[in-house]
Amino acid sequence: MMADLPEPESLLPLSPAAFHILVALADRDRHGYSILQDVAARTDGKVVLSAATLYSSIRRMLEQGLVTELRESPDPGNHDERRRYYGLTDHGRRVAMAEARRLTAMLAQARETGLIPKKL
Amino acid sequence: MRSIRVFEALLRCFPGPFRREYGDEMVRTFSQEIRGARERGSRREQWAVWLRSAAGIFQTAPQEHLHVIRQDVRYAVRTLTAQPGFTAVAVLSLALGIGANVAIFSIVNSLLLGMLPVRNPEELVMLTDPGARGMWTGVTTGDRELMTYAEFAQLRDEAGAFSALMASQSGLSRLQVRVNGGEAEEVQGRMVSAEYFDTLGAPAMLGRTYRDTDGAKPAVAVISHAFWQRRFGGRPEALGARIALRKTVFTVIGVMPPPFFGETVGDRPDVWLPLAMQPEIAPGRDLLHDDPSRLQKTAWLHVFGRLKPGVHSAEAETASNTVFQRGLAAFYSGAATEEVRRNFMNQRLRVRAAVSGASGIRDDFGGPLTLMLAAAGVVFLIACANLGNLMLARATARTREMAVRQALGAGRGDLVRQWMTEALVIALAGGAAGLAAAWALRAGLLMLVPSTVRLSESADARVLAFAVGLSVLAGLLLGLLPSLRTIRVDAAAGVKEQSRGVTASARWLRTGRWIVAGQVALSLPLLVGAGLLVRTLDNLRRVDVGFEKEKLLMLRVDVESAGYEEPRRQAVFERLHERVRRIPGVQSASYSPHGLFLGGDSGDDVEVEGYTPRDENDRSSRYDQVGPGYFAALGVPMKLGRPITERDHATSPKVCVINEAFAKKFFAGRNPIGLHVTQVFAQQRNRFQVVGVAGNFRKNRLRGEIEHRYFIPSAQPVDVPERVTFVVRTAGDAASAIPALRSAIRAEDPNLPVTAARPLTELLEERMAQDRLVAELSLAFGVTALLLAAIGLYGVLSYGVARRTNEIGIRKAMGARESSVVAMILRESSWLLAGGLGAGFLLAFGSLRWIESLLFGLAPSDPLAYAIAILLLGGVGLAASWAPARRAARVDPLVAIRYE
Repeated sequence: MMADLPEPESLLPLSPAAFHILVALADRDRHGYSILQDVAARTDGKVVLSAATLYSSIRRMLEQGLVTELRESPDPGNHDERRRYYGLTDHGRRVAMAEARRLTAMLAQARETGLIPKKL
Repeated sequence: MRSIRVFEALLRCFPGPFRREYGDEMVRTFSQEIRGARERGSRREQWAVWLRSAAGIFQTAPQEHLHVIRQDVRYAVRTLTAQPGFTAVAVLSLALGIGANVAIFSIVNSLLLGMLPVRNPEELVMLTDPGARGMWTGVTTGDRELMTYAEFAQLRDEAGAFSALMASQSGLSRLQVRVNGGEAEEVQGRMVSAEYFDTLGAPAMLGRTYRDTDGAKPAVAVISHAFWQRRFGGRPEALGARIALRKTVFTVIGVMPPPFFGETVGDRPDVWLPLAMQPEIAPGRDLLHDDPSRLQKTAWLHVFGRLKPGVHSAEAETASNTVFQRGLAAFYSGAATEEVRRNFMNQRLRVRAAVSGASGIRDDFGGPLTLMLAAAGVVFLIACANLGNLMLARATARTREMAVRQALGAGRGDLVRQWMTEALVIALAGGAAGLAAAWALRAGLLMLVPSTVRLSESADARVLAFAVGLSVLAGLLLGLLPSLRTIRVDAAAGVKEQSRGVTASARWLRTGRWIVAGQVALSLPLLVGAGLLVRTLDNLRRVDVGFEKEKLLMLRVDVESAGYEEPRRQAVFERLHERVRRIPGVQSASYSPHGLFLGGDSGDDVEVEGYTPRDENDRSSRYDQVGPGYFAALGVPMKLGRPITERDHATSPKVCVINEAFAKKFFAGRNPIGLHVTQVFAQQRNRFQVVGVAGNFRKNRLRGEIEHRYFIPSAQPVDVPERVTFVVRTAGDAASAIPALRSAIRAEDPNLPVTAARPLTELLEERMAQDRLVAELSLAFGVTALLLAAIGLYGVLSYGVARRTNEIGIRKAMGARESSVVAMILRESSWLLAGGLGAGFLLAFGSLRWIESLLFGLAPSDPLAYAIAILLLGGVGLAASWAPARRAARVDPLVAIRYE
């Protein structure tokens, strides 16, 4: 299965929505609405995904093997039968790291050239 | 709750599979969002949720559709490559059907629909007849076909309706030139007025075009892109090159871009020369001025214009006719009587759209090509029917797969989309292969068009659009049957069915039989039509022209352009005749201005002694001015009296020979010998005594009645011709005598151009080019239809036999003999064939009336053509049934029952 997965770099750059979803799933598995809330909270409400964008991205990321759908709720106490939960795969984690490295490198370049100050 | 329902409705923008997978989750997420906003009591936030959700849906739905389509295409390709046999048959049949249509359409497109490659061609109008070509001298009535230079010049200067007006030579001139002092070579030239290029809106690709600022005697030439490539290797030094024509040297000033061919579709001139230089280019006659003293005009030009903004073509027509009539009134003021003058004045100009330019061949080939396009369309339908049948068989075979998919949650829409995608993938692959096939077919088709016609070789967007449109249509037709089937079969029944394989396959078989009967019905008109047209061609080849066609040669010499004035021409005709006659291998030879089957004819009013014309139109006759020994050279028998001989010279009494048709019309029952025929044109009257009656023979046309005609000695001309055509009877092969004849002409005067040298058989074949094109194409279509129908029949019967293996086995176990099983299957196919043939007969009878004008020597209801087509289709159909019938007969009862 692993042999079929493409190199993380080949999936870059990720769309902003995809990267936000990966980040939201980095610390724990979540259902859709929870992902939306997490993204909004982390960005101070500057990025708010729509349900359509979220599930279209999830459909694609499931196919790419970046996320996986969980059979059971990560929180047995708060299990809603109807909800579908998603978690990050190892491959997804590698891709998210690769994207983070790419963004960091870009930021460094912008600092090098003095386009932005060394410390924002 | 209402907002949830609206959101659910919006979710219908997504494709079914996505909606089924994520719809509930999205609704849940949305309702939580909107509930949260409500709880916080913020209307603004509620609106923001709405806006964001709607925008997200409209943004992502197209992507999801694309994704599903991509998935479907991938699945279709996988399914199709897993069955390479079916796919290959399907793609190849479609390639054939689509290829044939695209090939013919591409020719229809360049010939009938193509727009001139000039600026805003839809603004162009023409004042002459697009189908007219060449030159005529005399008087005409009604709508004017061509114009004289003087008429054009007057219109250009006085008619205010046009922003630009130009004239061009309607035919092409074959010119003997020397480029930069090199060897003599032949080029195709067209004389055009100074306004030509500007009116067309066609700038040069290199250098410049010719304009009125080039002066009154501009010795300049503009060359075509093809000639530039061929003769100058595409080098820029072509500008300034010297093209010597007789004593004038023309300087090349411009090269036109590749698509530009001028104003006439089918013509590809190498060089455009100024009309003002006509006396230098084609000396011997002044074609730039009308001579009122002779009351005859020589019309040879097409006139094109662009309308001034806001001027309608009807206004332009009125304005042009006012100027034109003024010119005619001045020209014919010297007419003998007011009646004659009024008669001569009965001419008018018509202003027509000129978006697709002039074309001498459009009238000849337009009808037949449209007909062929229709026939190709029927072949396409038959091919689609065959494939539709195959698709239906596949749908039946995959009933279980479809049922399982439905049970797993796929909607009927998903299955229909899957079938449609599969059909479209096949159709587009077939279309792509069809385009390649069209390319090859088109090259073949162009060979059937006369060699003088040169059509554009590039495929344009319209041809491509036609190919794509046809492919999509094929895809929809092919996908329709399995889709309909999928809609009707319910999932549970589908799963059950596979174990018995009865209901659905029986239904398919019923539909399949209808389709095959339809194919047979459509094939019959094609086969009957092909039979009619092939027999027409045969009839034309056998038509009695009135003389022996073999070993006869036409050779035309243009004495006028070599500078021979009228008084010197008869002498040179006689000297050339003498030289031609002396060539070894020439049995006999004579001459006339137009020769035979080269086009061109003469005619005037006649007064025939003792004949009272019924009306105005009953007094005209065609005539020929022939050299001595004309009838003997052709081998036309004299029915009465004597032929024209050397004794009939300029100062001897004027005589004529008439043909049998003339004798029958004007001398019905009387002996014409010794009576008189008078040629009348304006004040000109020439009275000839009839000295003989020659047998009827055909001059230009293979079809229709033989025209009544009289023949006068060339030495006693009504009108001195500018050219002479020798008819030469050879001992051996006609074509092999051409070099000797050319050198004999050169020996008389090296400047005399031979403009045509062709065996008569070749000219006759060229006359039949259109008939041959139509006959060969329709035969090809007929045979293709026949094969497709046979394959369809074979497929349906084979499937029927396979399905009934059990039943046949039981029959045999009960004592049925092999022959009775064969008879049973053949009976079934006979019913199918009979039904198809019956419907096809009605279809053929109703539709083939339309090709009557293309037929010769037989009626559209020709029983032989019907009998052959019905027997052929029936025979091939039964032959195709034989293999399934034999297979049925060989069924082993034990195996059949075990199979069950």
